[in-house]
Amino acid sequence: MLLFRSEAHVDRWLAGRERGAVIPITKLAELAARWWSDRISPDWQPHTREQNQAILDEVGLTDPFWNLG
Amino acid sequence: MDAAELRVRRATYQRFVELGRAPSWGEVAEAVGVSEEEVRAAWRRLHDTHALVLDEAGEIRMLNPFAARPTDFRVDAGGRSWYANCAWDAFGVGAALHVDSEFDTHCADCGEALHVRVRGGQPDDDSFVFHVLVPAARWWNDIGFT
Repeated sequence: MLLFRSEAHVDRWLAGRERGAVIPITKLAELAARWWSDRISPDWQPHTREQNQAILDEVGLTDPFWNLG
Repeated sequence: MDAAELRVRRATYQRFVELGRAPSWGEVAEAVGVSEEEVRAAWRRLHDTHALVLDEAGEIRMLNPFAARPTDFRVDAGGRSWYANCAWDAFGVGAALHVDSEFDTHCADCGEALHVRVRGGQPDDDSFVFHVLVPAARWWNDIGFT
């Protein structure tokens, strides 16, 4: 889960290995806000797999790559 | 996760944020009013359910989004400095604390220093990209590698 200057840098780093998923950091920021916003709340309850999958869906990460299994 | 584990988890996060570092068993035990052994056992169960990540000695390694050890993701948020476990977590520190943040890391390819300021939840430079190598279903097979 690394950051790169651009997609070209991702491909150079992969050096022929299979790509995972690449998303712009604007989407990552949106995902992080939803994923982590309740993490230190006194009322926090464990997220179910379905809740976490829904967060991914809400930001448009619906490709099978993002299926939590 | 039962009520006792939730109390230990909550206190662990509270102490982490108060101290700016991973708390010891004793520091959490004192906060919760239980023994160190009970905290160690609760941490082990929380580790097994992916609520936190312990190292080989049974101490906190990751309290996501916070990292207990220095990483290449150093975050300034809420007037303090933190380490995050990855780029996702680097955004997560500000999100969890509900404050603006900024972080320093490096392009994993060329090593160029990258600085990201996050204001109102959005980064100031939208040219960078985030790459995840491992499909989501396998993230916890080896969370350190992920």
